Amino acid sequence: MTAGIAVRTLRLGFEYMKLNLRAISRQPAAVFFVVLFPILFLVIFSSLLTFELAIPAEAAGNVPVVTFSQYFVAGIIGSAIFGTSFNLLGNSLAIQQFDGTLKQLAATPLPRTSFFIGQVGTALTYTLLQLVVMMILGIAAYGVELPDGQGWLTLIWIVLLGVPAGCVMGIAITAIIPSANAAPAIIQVPYILFQFISGVFFTLASLPPWLQWVAGLFPLRWIAQGLRSVFLPDAYKYAEPGGDWQLGLAAIVLVVWIVLGFAAARFTFQWDRSG
Amino acid sequence: MEPAISIRGVFKRYGSVTAVNGVDLEIEAGQVYALLGPNGAGKTTLLEILEGYRVRDDGEVSVLGMDPGRERGELNRRVGIVLQRSTPMEGLTPREMLNFTAKLYDHPMHPSEALDLVGLSEHADRVGGKLSGGQKRRLDLAISVIGNPDLIFLDEPTTGFDATARRQAWEVVRGLTERGATVILTTHYLDEAEHLAQRIGMIQHGQIVFEGDVEDLRRQLSSETRISWQPPADVDPSSLPDEWVDRRPAADGRLSLPTQHPTRDAGRLIDWAREHGIDELDGLQVERPDLEELYLELVGDESEAASVDGAPAEQAS
Repeated sequence: MTAGIAVRTLRLGFEYMKLNLRAISRQPAAVFFVVLFPILFLVIFSSLLTFELAIPAEAAGNVPVVTFSQYFVAGIIGSAIFGTSFNLLGNSLAIQQFDGTLKQLAATPLPRTSFFIGQVGTALTYTLLQLVVMMILGIAAYGVELPDGQGWLTLIWIVLLGVPAGCVMGIAITAIIPSANAAPAIIQVPYILFQFISGVFFTLASLPPWLQWVAGLFPLRWIAQGLRSVFLPDAYKYAEPGGDWQLGLAAIVLVVWIVLGFAAARFTFQWDRSG
Repeated sequence: MEPAISIRGVFKRYGSVTAVNGVDLEIEAGQVYALLGPNGAGKTTLLEILEGYRVRDDGEVSVLGMDPGRERGELNRRVGIVLQRSTPMEGLTPREMLNFTAKLYDHPMHPSEALDLVGLSEHADRVGGKLSGGQKRRLDLAISVIGNPDLIFLDEPTTGFDATARRQAWEVVRGLTERGATVILTTHYLDEAEHLAQRIGMIQHGQIVFEGDVEDLRRQLSSETRISWQPPADVDPSSLPDEWVDRRPAADGRLSLPTQHPTRDAGRLIDWAREHGIDELDGLQVERPDLEELYLELVGDESEAASVDGAPAEQAS
């Protein structure tokens, strides 16, 4: 019985994801720009900032030269993962809360869990598309190397945990959005701030400790650090806080966000703000 | 047979405004029931309490034997809802929406059957953003019935339609009702309630002010006949038969009298005319007012009610 419900919930979540993707595919221009946006950042920043990263004294000699571009590829992939989940989903949910789309959906027997599964699935699909494009570009143009076996594994779980964690934040931020028109402006602010404090544009070590601590409460910092472990030479971990990639901690933080976030979303998410 | 809907003493307040003010209602299974009333009367609030969108402040609600506040998930499997506002997903066609929606139910009808039922087969593959207002409404109807619901809620299904589109929509709704589901619709058009519903509940200021079938409504509203005429300019009002003495002339100078006894009262008026040497009473009319006029008068639409002179507005409540 319970297994039957779980299977149905998953199956309907998958169907809802397909529906979403089909609707999105009818707007190819939107898809193009969503995928293109982080790539533009990558190209522009990499051409502006051509320095090599500072190497901590204790690691000197052990660490190969790492260019800013290499560092930034990892960061911008993290930022893209976070963007399609937090930014894109937050916007689209806010619009649908206010225009009555979700009110209509709430009249059907679509399980709420299936709805969230479908939204996460949609974000995951977008993310895969971005990941492929950016990895090709990173390898071809910015001296990034294909991950090794362990690297692939890390990449996969970072994506599988990072996207739902970002989605949770996208769902959560709709609570403070007062109207559909205000959504892009309100979501953009934390999105940009998170990128600045999470080691995307600047190394974590260059931030004051209290800001590192704040960033550590949110997913992007851990997503970006995990991706650096995938795309940068292993020895470079000496430049990270604590001299380690902190993958275990990353997994814990992301899982906590997902579990608490979805539990909260299930009860507090507003399906109808059209009235 | 258990009623499809049974509610008792339902209240809903928003700050100082009482949107639903102690409503009792029982709707039999298989019936088409119209909640009729002007804008702001509380129709949609009441409907959304039944649908599970809003939480009542007080009272008991049973919809298909369930409490929509607590058992909404289960209720959604057996209920179809057409909301007041239509929002199809822009990038999808009616067929795609229906294919998806059908998968959510245990015993859905085939999407093409639902398309046929609402007359949307021709536009089944047109992307949602390109559908006309009427076509979007048909899609809403198709989505609401595809799960073969036992109960369908239609919130103002034809508001904003022109006369032709409304008649077409009525045909569609009739087609749905013939399948045996209970239907509850809200409308502020009396003729819509008359055409579609077997039973009508009139709602005003959050209260049911009348309930009955179309004939009951007609009787209730037009229990009175009106006698009206144009008195000569030089008539002395105090010389008129007693029942006319206090009648005030309308803007056009006509006097009118609502009455339960038209033959007696018209006879008295004619006797009075003979006694005063008046051969003809100008513009004499004995009539039962139009239902629409009386409805508008009852719900207090001032501009329309003014044209129906005489009767005080609250007489029928």
